[in-house]
Amino acid sequence: MQEWASQLCENRQFGSKMTDSKYFTTTKKGEIFELKAELNSDKKEKKKEAVKKVIASMTVGKDVSALFPDVVNCMQTDNLELKKLVYLYLMNYAKSQPDMAIMAVNTFVKDCEDPNPLIRALAVRTMGCIRVDKITEYLCEPLRKCLKDEDPYVRKTAAVCVAKLHDINAQLVEDQGFLDTLKDLISDSNPMVVANAVAALSEIAESHPNSNLLDLNPQTINKLLTALNECTEWGQIFILDCLANYTPRDDRESQSICERVTPRLSHANSAVVLSAVKVLMKFMEMLPKDLDYYGTLLKKLAPPLVTLLSAEPELQYVALRNINLIVQRRPEILKHEMKVFFVKYNDPIYVKLEKLDIMIRLASQANIAQVLAELKEYATEVDVDFVRKAVRAIGRCAIKVEQSAERCVSTLLDLIQTKVNYVVQEAIVVIKDIFRKYPNKYESVIATLCENLDSLDEPEARAAMIWIVGEYAERIDNADELLESFLEGFHDESTQVQLQLLTAIVKLFLKKPTETQELVQQVLSLATQDSDNPDLRDRGYIYWRLLSTDPVAAKEVVLAEKPLISEETDLIEPTLLEELICHIGTLASVYHKPPSAFVEGSRGVQHKRLPGSAGSGESVESPDTGSAAGVSDAPPAVIPSQGDLLGDLLNLDLTPPATTGPPPPATSGMQLGAMDLLGGGLDSLMGDESEPLGGDLGGSSAMGAGFGAPPAAPAASFSAPVSGGLDDLFDLGGGVGMPMGAYSPPKTVWLPAMKGKGLEISGTFARRAGVIQMEMTLTNKAMSVMTDFAIQFNRNSFGLAPAGPLQVLTPLSPNQSIEVTLPLNTVGPVMKMDPLNNLQVAVKNNIDVFYFSCQYPISMLFVEDGKMERQVFLATWKDISNDNEAQFQIKDCHLSSDAVSNKLQGSNIFTIAKRTVDGQDMLYQSTKLSNGIWVLAELRVQTGNPTFTVCLKCRAPEVSQCVFQSYDAVLKN
Amino acid sequence: MISQLFILSSKGDHLIYKDYRGEAGSDVIDVFYEKVTALTGDQPPVVMSHKDLHFVHIRQGGLYWVATTTADSSPFSIIEFLNRLSGLVKDYCGSLSEKAIQMNFALIYELLDEVLDYGYVQTTSSDVLKNFIQSEAVSSKPFSLFDLSNVGLFGAETQQNKVAPSSAATRPIQSSRDPGGKSEIFVDVIEKMSVVIGSNGVLMKADIEGEIRVKCYMPSCSEMRIGLNEEFSVGKSQLRGYGAAVRVDECSFHQSVQLDEFQSHRILRLCPSQGEHTVMQYRLSDELPSAPPFRLFPSVERDSAGRLLMYLKLRCDLPPKRSVSLLPEGAGLSQELSSPDQSAELQLQNRTVFWKIPRLCGGTQLSALFKLDVPGLSSASMLEVGPVGLSFELPKWTGTGLQIRFLRLSPVHPGPSQRWVRYVTHSDSYIIRI
Repeated sequence: MQEWASQLCENRQFGSKMTDSKYFTTTKKGEIFELKAELNSDKKEKKKEAVKKVIASMTVGKDVSALFPDVVNCMQTDNLELKKLVYLYLMNYAKSQPDMAIMAVNTFVKDCEDPNPLIRALAVRTMGCIRVDKITEYLCEPLRKCLKDEDPYVRKTAAVCVAKLHDINAQLVEDQGFLDTLKDLISDSNPMVVANAVAALSEIAESHPNSNLLDLNPQTINKLLTALNECTEWGQIFILDCLANYTPRDDRESQSICERVTPRLSHANSAVVLSAVKVLMKFMEMLPKDLDYYGTLLKKLAPPLVTLLSAEPELQYVALRNINLIVQRRPEILKHEMKVFFVKYNDPIYVKLEKLDIMIRLASQANIAQVLAELKEYATEVDVDFVRKAVRAIGRCAIKVEQSAERCVSTLLDLIQTKVNYVVQEAIVVIKDIFRKYPNKYESVIATLCENLDSLDEPEARAAMIWIVGEYAERIDNADELLESFLEGFHDESTQVQLQLLTAIVKLFLKKPTETQELVQQVLSLATQDSDNPDLRDRGYIYWRLLSTDPVAAKEVVLAEKPLISEETDLIEPTLLEELICHIGTLASVYHKPPSAFVEGSRGVQHKRLPGSAGSGESVESPDTGSAAGVSDAPPAVIPSQGDLLGDLLNLDLTPPATTGPPPPATSGMQLGAMDLLGGGLDSLMGDESEPLGGDLGGSSAMGAGFGAPPAAPAASFSAPVSGGLDDLFDLGGGVGMPMGAYSPPKTVWLPAMKGKGLEISGTFARRAGVIQMEMTLTNKAMSVMTDFAIQFNRNSFGLAPAGPLQVLTPLSPNQSIEVTLPLNTVGPVMKMDPLNNLQVAVKNNIDVFYFSCQYPISMLFVEDGKMERQVFLATWKDISNDNEAQFQIKDCHLSSDAVSNKLQGSNIFTIAKRTVDGQDMLYQSTKLSNGIWVLAELRVQTGNPTFTVCLKCRAPEVSQCVFQSYDAVLKN
Repeated sequence: MISQLFILSSKGDHLIYKDYRGEAGSDVIDVFYEKVTALTGDQPPVVMSHKDLHFVHIRQGGLYWVATTTADSSPFSIIEFLNRLSGLVKDYCGSLSEKAIQMNFALIYELLDEVLDYGYVQTTSSDVLKNFIQSEAVSSKPFSLFDLSNVGLFGAETQQNKVAPSSAATRPIQSSRDPGGKSEIFVDVIEKMSVVIGSNGVLMKADIEGEIRVKCYMPSCSEMRIGLNEEFSVGKSQLRGYGAAVRVDECSFHQSVQLDEFQSHRILRLCPSQGEHTVMQYRLSDELPSAPPFRLFPSVERDSAGRLLMYLKLRCDLPPKRSVSLLPEGAGLSQELSSPDQSAELQLQNRTVFWKIPRLCGGTQLSALFKLDVPGLSSASMLEVGPVGLSFELPKWTGTGLQIRFLRLSPVHPGPSQRWVRYVTHSDSYIIRI
């Protein structure tokens, strides 16, 4: 024994010098020769030792394939230990010696019939591992037998072997009917067999996304849940992961599965716990929030998650990455557990940083004092990176919890007092952010900041300080001196600082023009004449021209009010988060990237979605959900809730501006009050209708006032195209179904007659000649005449609003329909809706007010000048971070890439460039939304493949889903 | 799914390599070693990727245990599996070392064949595995209970105390198959304490994470019953009996533990399999039954010569006659220590003072005065001093008060058998802020 251990040590030296082949072969010869002799020895012990030596050499990377025939000769033995060693050798070398591997086949087949189940299993396991095509045909018969073996150990090994075979030759597995046998094994009596069958089927199913292999139905789920209780811990993981792919039919089923999975939360194996958490997080989506069980479940989830943190740092890190996701999705689970995320002194830095992140996500008014005390403590630690993050965290707290802002600022000031260089710099960077969130609130600290001007040596801190000086120049007496001091070394500064300095001095000039003329000229000439940086030069020229042509405009531009920043900037984008929640416990959850981003290859990666939210998208389209009269069966996720809808409509402020009506009545009287107010508002709009209509948009001023939209300017600029649009409309007559290039979906029923007291409204949206139109068919199915129509929109994501009143000039008699086209503009008030393209509408007639909601195709918001310059496209594409990228697939689309690009052009999606790589056409496209958001797309079209891939990049990633839907709709119509 | 599995020595030598799915070549081993040695401190070492291959690894016994995967599999289960595997290898080979692995590679390959098939974990239970494993372990050194060269955990006093040294349990499980082998069972209660005491002396946070670990070397042990304190309670509200309850917030059990007598009598019933496992894990936050074991009374000031003076007084609040070994550390030195067997040193690169106290008796107090010359000391930099971290080991004491009432084995074993129950509390992170 000692002997070949020492040999191993020797061999290792070879292992590390494998490339040195010359040296290698010379020694090998003698050794191999010796081994050969030993292998052919008659003594069993000697043989065994020889095989061991061979395997030892193999492990360290030596090539011992020359001994193949000799080793295979040792195969026929009844000594199990020797047999195992030989098989080990075979698995390693069969691939490189396929012809010789056939020699072993007979023994395998024989072993599969051996009375000893251990040998049967060993044979079938090894055969599957020999990845040689020729062997597979010999494998089928023995495998078939072993799948039905009486011994569960053999069956479970055979189940895995099917997966192995499938990987080598998928067709063969299907032809031989192994998949059906495998499916039967799900009902096996032995839980280990069930677990392996589930694992094998899951893997095979992954490579056939559309096959119905793992046919999950309530019966199989029940079987799996039963096996779950009896399985080994590892089997439980397979089963739980498989369960996570199931979508329950209703909340009751999902509750019963949750109930049966919950006991796994107290398992000692953290992988089981995390798989159970995944299942629960997913199925929880389907449970109504007011259910008692939902609350119970939330409580049960916290302790196991906390327990995960007591493991080794590596596991802690993985757990924290997962908790980070869970906290973003459901902060309520861990809201009372803030303390466990406090950093321990001896945590490794990567654990500390992750904990810090979670602390901020959990910070709320209730615990902010505690959090701040901790953060302040961390800021005095030794590790520089951690200290920086801690200081930054204080800033994030200030932005997140408004009430704490003051305390955060004073904590930061305390830290600045320590004069520790990097602490001061970091503090200044975050204070800049705090100023962006709470402008004109904490200027008193500027004096303290200015004291530390000289110690700043990092670009980011310098830039932040310069920004602050520029922004508050009027309050700093010596602002000009401060900025001038930076100007001395202008060319040595980084771009970030240069740009900031330029802007700050221009701001200063605009605020104190008399004293700083010289300074601004100096900086402009530095930026425009002496700099090679195009960004800096361009910005310099722009300022220069602005200042020389129109100082007032310059003031408006440079000193414009800046949008406030919010804490949401560092949250994971919701759709990505949903997908990641479906992958809790996997690599995706550690990388915080979807699996498609890092798993390569043929296994079709499916984007998983949470069940509840996936459902909501569809149900919105069903017309009855938006009806007004408090329909209780509308799913709550669709429209926030009845109360909310009314509340939102109330906020429209439909009452004429002159009457300062009472504030909206609270809850109980809500509905009635809302009706009244709405009625009044609509009536006043009706009044406007009697004024001359046509092109001048008589109503628009009233509308504008009603909506609180910006005054005259936009209305005026819109009147021309709108009237043109109206003329067009009249020419078009019905206007439906006329191919105008842009895709318009067919009309759907928005308000069924049942809900509309006899009024049925169906409609669609279209963009015609640059004007967005809502095309409706109003049908009177009641017995009486309808008059006095008016329409009003709720606030919506893109500020859609009627550009004129609803033109129903003649009363609508029973059984009569009328086509109405309502031009829309996008200057209305904005509020983000869910889904984004949801539009809530109120229509009034002489009978009542009706509410409904509909979804507009986002393609009608694509404007005509959405074609981006190539260069700009390229730069923008790079500039938008990959996190904002979304990928979708369009299935079953049989168009060539040119046809695609023509079709999309009709809908204002412009193809900028086309590239062909390996028979795949890549179209680069741009689109601009009416609110100025650019969407960039990369469309991959492979000839002969009906599935296209669209990659969308946008600074506002939430629109991606809608844009994709438009792509899909446009291409399929 | 695990694609490949390999074990490397700390120097990067290939000890064991097994490919389960044929998805990548063996050249990735060197890629892994390059990557892992190039890691800097703030990069999480857990998952590393190379092309479309992901490495997950742990370090046990000075070795790298690495699994690779190509799919989006769960790093949790892989880490957990690797930990179990290293435990198994330790159980089978007696100890974990480069040498032990080299000498037992055939056995380890056999294990690897059984625990994983096509990358799916099959089982990690030594009870199941013993049916399949043929090779015998080769032990590097014959086991001896009184081999004192290995005494570590419990200090030098152990032998007089008649406590089995912690190395007693490092031997291969299979040796118990031999009729002449000693049959022994060890039940260890191990607690890790993390405490934060604020600068004002207020206890800010105190957590205890504990576990009961069983090491079994009994050839035929069908059932074992472990009795805990009767007043043991789980959860916040539940209180049992009178007097001070022994309470934990949460506990979880190994799946082989039967809990039918737990609710009524606080008895854990299990059939221990050969080797080592954690039977129960528990956690207690915030409400410790007793005061924290150590108090520190620091004073930090600047003397007239501009030196930093740190006067530390450490008090041990444990019942007398308990001794502990401690290693407090603080924020470069002349020193005055209260007793001769202590030592202190200044570690410049991490800016700490290291005060080493070999033993501290309960109810006693130690003090130290450190004078540091710090260039450019200002009043603001006083804020940077601290905190003090204590690392210690308290034998025969548990923070939660959990005790093993009794340990019964059935059937009663005829031959000489030994049962050991040991308690120890470690510091996980014991921080006193200044």
